[in-house]
Parts: sequence; structure tokens; C-alpha cells
Amino acid sequence: MISVYYFGAIALVLIGLYAILVKKNLLKILIGLSIMETGVNLLLISIGYVSGRSAPILSEGIGPSQAVDPIPQALVLTAIVIGVATTAMALSVAMLIYEKYGTLNIEEIRRLRG
Amino acid sequence: MNGQYAALLIAVPLISAFFVPLLKGAGKNAIKYFLIAVTALQTGIAALVFQQVYTTGQPIIVMAGGWKPPVGINLYFGHFAALFVLIVAVVSFLMAIFSLESIKVEPIDKYAMLFLLLMLGATGMIATGDIFNLFVFMEITAISAYALTAYNKTGEAAEASMKYIVLGGIGSSFFLIGVALIYGSLGTLNMAQIAQLAATMNPTVAQVGLALIIFGLAVEAEIFPLNAWAPDAYQAAPHPITAMFSAFVVKAGLYAMARIIYLMQDVGSWGSVLKLLVVLATLTVIVAELAALRQRDVKRMIAYSSIAQIGLIALAFALGTQSGVDAGVFHMVNHAIVKAMLFLAVGYVAMTLGGAEIENFKGLGRRMPLMAFAISVGAIATVGIPLFNIFWSKVRIILATLQVGYTWAAVLVLAASVVEAVYYFRLLHVIWFEGDGEKINENLAIGLMVLFLAALVVVIGIYPDYVWSLAQKAGNDIFNVASYIKNVPLMGVGA
Repeated sequence: MISVYYFGAIALVLIGLYAILVKKNLLKILIGLSIMETGVNLLLISIGYVSGRSAPILSEGIGPSQAVDPIPQALVLTAIVIGVATTAMALSVAMLIYEKYGTLNIEEIRRLRG
Repeated sequence: MNGQYAALLIAVPLISAFFVPLLKGAGKNAIKYFLIAVTALQTGIAALVFQQVYTTGQPIIVMAGGWKPPVGINLYFGHFAALFVLIVAVVSFLMAIFSLESIKVEPIDKYAMLFLLLMLGATGMIATGDIFNLFVFMEITAISAYALTAYNKTGEAAEASMKYIVLGGIGSSFFLIGVALIYGSLGTLNMAQIAQLAATMNPTVAQVGLALIIFGLAVEAEIFPLNAWAPDAYQAAPHPITAMFSAFVVKAGLYAMARIIYLMQDVGSWGSVLKLLVVLATLTVIVAELAALRQRDVKRMIAYSSIAQIGLIALAFALGTQSGVDAGVFHMVNHAIVKAMLFLAVGYVAMTLGGAEIENFKGLGRRMPLMAFAISVGAIATVGIPLFNIFWSKVRIILATLQVGYTWAAVLVLAASVVEAVYYFRLLHVIWFEGDGEKINENLAIGLMVLFLAALVVVIGIYPDYVWSLAQKAGNDIFNVASYIKNVPLMGVGA
């Protein structure tokens, strides 16, 4: 069965990709990258999601058969941490670029070519 | 289970990286010597693993926490991983020595930390046994690579790093979507179990997942059209890091790609993915060789040549035959040696003469004879002259390509080699027959390193049989998925 979350996830990925490909401002490109990562995370989560089941924490009345698949959730946690690291790295490089070039417009940042 | 010490290959660089800030007070040379000590230790462990795997013929499988896969996470040191982890460690060791001379920009502690993490990431990508950890190690490699590219803090470095981040971010997102698709249809992340269950997968889902994973890894592996970041990053990064990128970071990505492709060889639409990769690899070779022809910066020129060689390896891996994979691994080994030497020598020259523009290389034969010699050996070897190591692997790749019937690919690759010969011989002409100058004293340690690597190039060129037999075993490790599944002690889940 195709869940509605898949459409949301794919839409987020496509919006992010659009921003990366079309926008001229470096910060907007990085925001696009973040949106894309969010979409991927949503996709991962929705793969393990089963409607009507609870979080995979064993407690009273919740056995393995009543919980959703825990592995995608663990994966998404890792992926979020990695995404934050990438974004932080990208923003610090953007700061460096602004210092050196005085602009964030990618059409003016073109010293390397060929 | 013995061989658990192989986990140290992951643990040592990781723990050492966290110890670097503690050494900050002891002065910056202390940090550099610490870096050399850690890489030497890593080389020792890698040599032990190599020795054990190749004498017993059995892979070392490390299971985290004693949990059997697929519940636990495992590391797999087969013939390929053992060979390549050793290469990673040796190249890192040489580059740590080179860093002693070449890294003058502060902060040195951050450099050492990222250096170790880069080594860790490549080692992990080669050794890991499940696809999500592959993603994690790929990101460790990528983030340290982004930071190291920007390390020189010039405008060019920042620009190169930004290109790399944007492409790498898209690539890793697509990789993760591929992982999600595979997990969604097979319910496992373990490579051995994926291979076991691959036949049950829906061919369309498998095709899309595999294509997305290849697309994601192609950023690290510099396959056209996702390699736009590479020449900029190679040019802007500190010299030892450039050599590491070319010698093993790219190779780790390529290996991961080959491993996943062959794991999925049971799925229905496997052949079409291979065809796609053959086309992309051939394009990589041609585009990179043509771009190299018009470079004025020698470091950038060699970067393009490096991309072309990577395309050749990818072509060999995409053939889908045992002989192709063997030839690809052989070329990976040869290329790692040659490019480590070339980037070492060119980096040292650029450092001494203040830039890697081709004008600076005039009269190098008289000014720095050792480096000129090393660059010449590297150039001649890369072009593929007999009696140098790359000749043998190139011939084997071409033969394997012809065997499968991709005559057009073989012809195009050979034509690209002619272009390669043109620009390398132009460089040799500039080095030996133009300009004049005073002799400059060359650093003894760096001289010894390039001589060692040059000796390896020539020895393998004259006696290729030993390394070829290593490459065949390593290639078999990738190609023969049935024995890979048999070696990993899977719990009886799912299968």
C-alpha cells in the first residue's frame, strides 16, 4: 500500500532539488539542501511506519507486535545528526566565501573554471 | 574468534583524533609527530591483517558486541579490504611525513584531526559490512574532505569546498533514498543478507535503488557527470590531502560502488545498470582527458588525469566479468602508487617554487632532479609505457573490455590515452628541455619517499605477477558473492 507520506517525502526532495538547481543565492541553495535531507528522512521513517502502532519502546501493553519497525527510526536519528554536521560545515564555508568574495551570489563566485 | 584486533583499524584513528586537542599545548610539531606515530601504528595493524588474511585465505569478520549479523553490525576484511586498508594506511603514513614539511597554515590540530578522520572514513568504507554504515563512513569521509578542502582559507579553497558540499549533499541524499528503497523491500541492511535475498526483490525497485546508490557514490567516486568538484578540490586542498583524495578516498567510493553492484547481481534488471555505468565510465575518461589537455596548472592537470584513470577503473568494474574486476583492482593498486608519487612530487615542487603553474616547472630537471625524476616516472607510467606498472593493468582492462564485446569503449579509451600522452609529454618537455636554473636542495625524507614509490612502480612494471595475483584474489572477493555470503556468519533470520 502506498502511504501518503511517500508523496510528502518525494515532494520535499523535489522542492529541495529545485532550490539547489535554480536559486542563485548560496544560502537559499543550502536551505534547499536541508529541505531535501528532511524529505529523505521522512521517506525513511515512513518505510517503517505502520498505521495504528505505537513507538518501539517496550512497556505495559506494547509488545513487539504492537510497535513500528525501530530500525528506520535509528537510521533517521543518525541521518539527522549527519545532516546537521553537513549544514554547519556548509554554513561556515559560506561565511568564508562571503569574507573572500563579498557576495553570496553564485554567478559572481567563479574564480575556478576549466 | 581471533582476528578481532582488526577492529583497531577503526578504533585507533578515531580515538587518536580525539586526543589531538590535548596535545595542542605541546606545540605544533608534537602534533605532527603524533600524526606520524598514529599512521605508523595503523600501518602495522593493517600489515598484520593483510598477512593473516592472505596466509589463511579466510576473511576476518569483526562482529560488534559479539552479535551475529544481521542483528549486529559487522566489519568484513576479505582479500580486497585487507589489501586496500594496507594501501590506505601506507599512503596516510607517507602523507603524514609530507605534512611535516608542507603544512604551514594554522590551525595544525584541526588539520591532524581531519586527516585522521579522512583515513578512518576511507578505511571504514572499505571494511564495513552493511549499507547504512557505509553511508555513515561515507559522510565521515565527505565532511572531513569538505573541511580539508577549505583548509587553506583562500577564496578558491572556499569555492571548491562549497561545490563539493552541494554535490556531496545531493549525492548522499540520493544514496539514502536508495538505502531506504532496499530496506523497504528486503527488510535488511546487511550486505550478505541483501545478496542472499536479492533475487526476491522487485526488479524495478532494485533498478531504481541501485541507480540511486550508484548516483550517490558517483560523487565520491568522481564518475561523470558528478565529478565537477574534483579538479577544484584537488587544486585547492593542501598537497598531502590531494594525494590522499586521489590515492584512496576515491577508491573507497569506487569499491563501495562495485561491491553493491555485485551484491545485487541476482536481481532481474541487473544488466541495464551495468550498461549505464559503462557509458558513464567511458564518458568520464574522455571528458577528463580532454579537459586535462588545456590546463596550465600542473596539479589541476594531474587531477583531471586522475579522474580519467578512475573512469577506466569504473569501466573495468562495470564489465560484469571476473577478469574485468581483477583488472580494475590491479589498476586501483597501480594508480594509488603512481598518483601518490605524482601528487607528492608536484606538491613539493609547488611548495618550494611557489605555485603549480606550468611555467614554474621549466628547468626542473636541473633545479630539482629527484622530483623531476619522480614526476617523469609517474607521467610515463600513467601514459602506459611497457615496463611500468600501469601498462599491465591498462592492457588487462582493454582485453577484458574487448572480451565482453564493448569494442567501442576500448577504442574510445585508447584514443583518450593518446590525448593523455600528449599532455604528459608536454610536461616532460617543459621539465627537461626548457629553462634553466640553480639547483635547489631537496628534502631528504621526501626524496626517499618518492624514490621508494618510483621503485615500486618500476618493480611492479618488471615483475607484475605477484601484485597481479594479489589483485586476482581481491577481485575474486568482490566478484564471488556466493563465497561472501558463505563467509559472513548470518543468524537464521529472514533467509
